[in-house]
Amino acid sequence: MLLLICSTGWLPASPAHAGKGVPAVTMMVTPDTLLVGDRIHCTIQITNPDQDVASVAWGDGVDSLSVRTFEPVSSKHISSSLHSGQSQEKFELELAAFGTGQQLLPPFTVALHDIKGNITKKIVYKPSTMVFVRALTDSTMRDLRPVKPPQKPPIPLLLIMPVILGVFGVAGLVLLLLFMLKRVVRKSAEKVDSGQVAQRKLRKLGSSLSAGMPPHECYEELSNIMRSFLENHYRISALEAVTQEIERDLKKLGIAGFESIMNLLKQADLVKFADSRPDVEESRQSLHKASEVIRSTRYFRPHDQPVEADEPQ
Amino acid sequence: MQLAVELEELGTRIIEASKFLEHAEEELSQRIIGQRDVIRRVFIAMLVNGHILLEGVPGLAKTLIVSTFAAAMNLKFQRIQFTPDMLPADLVGTMIYNPKEMEFYPRKGPVFANVILADEINRSPAKVQSALLEAMQERQVTIGSQTFPLQEPFMVLATQNPIEHEGTYLLPEAQVDRFMMKVIVDYPSYDEELEIMLRSATNASKVPVKAVVHSGDIFQARTLIDRIYVDPRVQRYIVDLVVATRVPAQYGMPELETMIEYGASPRASIFLLLASKAHAFLQHRPYITPEDVKAIVYDTLRHRIRPGYEAEAENIKPSDIIRQILQHVQVP
Repeated sequence: MLLLICSTGWLPASPAHAGKGVPAVTMMVTPDTLLVGDRIHCTIQITNPDQDVASVAWGDGVDSLSVRTFEPVSSKHISSSLHSGQSQEKFELELAAFGTGQQLLPPFTVALHDIKGNITKKIVYKPSTMVFVRALTDSTMRDLRPVKPPQKPPIPLLLIMPVILGVFGVAGLVLLLLFMLKRVVRKSAEKVDSGQVAQRKLRKLGSSLSAGMPPHECYEELSNIMRSFLENHYRISALEAVTQEIERDLKKLGIAGFESIMNLLKQADLVKFADSRPDVEESRQSLHKASEVIRSTRYFRPHDQPVEADEPQ
Repeated sequence: MQLAVELEELGTRIIEASKFLEHAEEELSQRIIGQRDVIRRVFIAMLVNGHILLEGVPGLAKTLIVSTFAAAMNLKFQRIQFTPDMLPADLVGTMIYNPKEMEFYPRKGPVFANVILADEINRSPAKVQSALLEAMQERQVTIGSQTFPLQEPFMVLATQNPIEHEGTYLLPEAQVDRFMMKVIVDYPSYDEELEIMLRSATNASKVPVKAVVHSGDIFQARTLIDRIYVDPRVQRYIVDLVVATRVPAQYGMPELETMIEYGASPRASIFLLLASKAHAFLQHRPYITPEDVKAIVYDTLRHRIRPGYEAEAENIKPSDIIRQILQHVQVP
């Protein structure tokens, strides 16, 4: 409920002892409604017929230790004037409100002083002005709000860093080991002599021939062994190339035993593509020749780039 | 190591029967400097009854090669300059009215010759191209109601310019497919050009070309070529190469799937085998090796592979695709 008592005009404050020679006191208060802790502004006008100087003080007669509804914050003398033999003085005061609900302003004391500064009269005024002080919390709230669960403090970065560094370190170590392992495997593979591999295959082929392998199949296998050897040993693409292309690539390299290699490949081509049927003895001789050719070329290893096959025409 | 008796005997006969080509080649070299590969391809096509599409910029002696070839081979030669206003009748012939006898009689067109040079074939509209290509395929021509077989040997060498396409009629794939080979005529080497310049920059009359071949030589050679041995391994290799243009992923080339819009037709396998046989014949061999196949695979397949959008965007030519296929398809 809102009470508008003195917010819009000057209202007289009633003195405790009214009579002749008693100054007239009027009071204006703003605002009429406020929150707890807010301030109200009071302007007090004192009209004194005896031309004595007036002063205002709050709280006289009130226990200073108890909790008060209004607490004076500041007090200021604004103006002083003289009208038709009467002095008029204005005071502006600030009060902080602490009580809630409808409240009556506290009494104040007006003291009159003579020229020498001695108090000639002291009158206590009790204002009838009321203000409404609202509480900060909603009075309609009846339930307790749910309490939020306590948050766990974040793990500090300094604690995680060693773990992260450890993971990275382990990963790096694993990669390094893999790289070294690959190098070792590659090196060991390079160490395997293509000539030795070819010789071993030739020996195996010779055994198969003795065991009854048809000679034309032997030539087919011989061709594959020779091409594989040429590809690994001279780094030419012999497995995907035809005999003419191999001949051209080997000619470029100028290797020893070129004629013998070509003879073997051409013989194999005759068996593969011209339906030629060699006998066992011929096959054995060809295997022997192949073995000799590989032996004679094993120390020649070009370190050039692989020879590229050109487009015919 | 000896060949089988039949092949040995065939080899001897091939050496004898192919001598006329050596003579013709020698005669051609009197007039033409370089272009040895082109001449060889022309021989191959003639030996197996095929036709050739020659592609090259102007001035590379395409017409000279064909006319000299026809003269040296003792064959009737006709040069037909294809133009936009040409009609099929200008090519195959037409019915002419004889007022004295009051009847129509057929007048045969220039297509009735042994060697036809269809110069700039892509300058004529589709109906003229179709008339020629029909003659190439059927080897006969119908004028009015009469059908006339064309002379044997009958060979068409068509030329087209790769750089000038304005006002031309692009040959459709179905018609290009009828050419056994598409041969790219390239510029001569530095030394060849020097010799061409010295020989040609003269007012003296040109050396006449001698006919060094009898018509029977060609037919005998064709009979022998039919007998050339083709091992099943080589047969499969040829089919592998052609099929790889259709399903490259099956041959370990998935990246080519998007590069090829259409692969080669079965006609490619037929022509590849025939051309390989002729190549082996030129090498005096009674059997085919993968070398023969590889030697002519570019000319036989390049006009039968249609590159896809991605290939065109990356400027990948059919030759590049064929090169990749050759690297992946295993040689027997």
